[in-house]
Amino acid sequence: MTTDLPMPRVGAGQAAAPKPMRLVLNWGRRYSLWVFNFGLACCAIEFIAASMARHDFIRLGVIPFAPGPRQADLMVVSGTVTDKMAPAVRRLYDQMPEPKYVISFGACSNSGGPYWDSYCVTKGVDQLIPVDVYVPGCPPRPEALLQGILVLQQQIAQEKLQTKSLRGRLGPYAGRRASAAEVSRPLVAPPEQTT
Amino acid sequence: MTKFLSGLAKGMATTARTMTTHAHTQQYPHVKPELPSRSRGVIALLEENCTSCMLCARECPDWCIYIDSHKETTPPTTEGGRARQHNVLDRFAIDFSLCMYCGICIEVCPFDALFWSPEFEYSTTDIRDLLQEKETLGQWMPTVPAPEPLVPELPQTEAQQLVVDVEPEDDPAAGRTTKRGAGEVPRPGTEEQP
Repeated sequence: MTTDLPMPRVGAGQAAAPKPMRLVLNWGRRYSLWVFNFGLACCAIEFIAASMARHDFIRLGVIPFAPGPRQADLMVVSGTVTDKMAPAVRRLYDQMPEPKYVISFGACSNSGGPYWDSYCVTKGVDQLIPVDVYVPGCPPRPEALLQGILVLQQQIAQEKLQTKSLRGRLGPYAGRRASAAEVSRPLVAPPEQTT
Repeated sequence: MTKFLSGLAKGMATTARTMTTHAHTQQYPHVKPELPSRSRGVIALLEENCTSCMLCARECPDWCIYIDSHKETTPPTTEGGRARQHNVLDRFAIDFSLCMYCGICIEVCPFDALFWSPEFEYSTTDIRDLLQEKETLGQWMPTVPAPEPLVPELPQTEAQQLVVDVEPEDDPAAGRTTKRGAGEVPRPGTEEQP
């Protein structure tokens, strides 16, 4: 069984929203980014440091309490994306609701970093999902993540969400047929009791 | 019950203690952080010092440094002299999406053309913008902090103690040794041998 991953689109209200309305919508989006930490390696430690009291990115409206990708607006891929992990990255990205944003945090997720000629490392997470902001560093400072968030917020403030522009940007990454098991999974039955 | 109450009291005591102290949150976008001079933020290039010797590009574990150069010939300044050749740097680029910030390029540079800068604000929305050319690398030069002193400053009392230690009372070699100033540290192996 396959399921269609539809091309991204925006609702009729968003498409017809006049400029002041769009301003308010973008303002709301940029200051309530529920973040989903895709921590894969050591960069995740710096992400956690950025979420702690000293740097505290809740000040910037980034909320690290999303229960899962289905409730998140922003995915921060921090760490080495291996080819084995790549389907999971793609799957969790597909589960996120539109509009969604991705920050690639650190050299490994930017372009593979030190592992750029490894046989098993994805050469940058942008091969799998569209990335909005690239934060350089190995690992980047927590402040560098805060600055990446500021760059993303500026981008959200200026964006005009229209179906056409969205498809132009995300087209290469979407509109494919995926197997149902790739994006959803039925309830897992408990193992049979053998007593 | 007593365990619960004592735990509660302990927790309330911690709350009361932290209530009186300031939060240590750094107000980053409004207040720039004071980073130590050893911070590995970005690599700055002093273009005048670069001789395009390619040592950094060859030693880079990631191969993320790109150097293009060509040779120019300077005519001899005196009659019958020899024409000199020197390298002219055309392109010096570091791909910061690959760079692993190991600092090997900075250490191997024989002419001190590369420096660490604590600057970290160069996130981009396009991965191609992370390939920084020599103009951008040069713009980071003013942010490079002054080098640390070679001999770390000792507390005054400790320094005086060292001076007292190395001054012998009736050593025939005492005339040859110059008096050590306060704060100067004796290198290992140079102390007077009995």
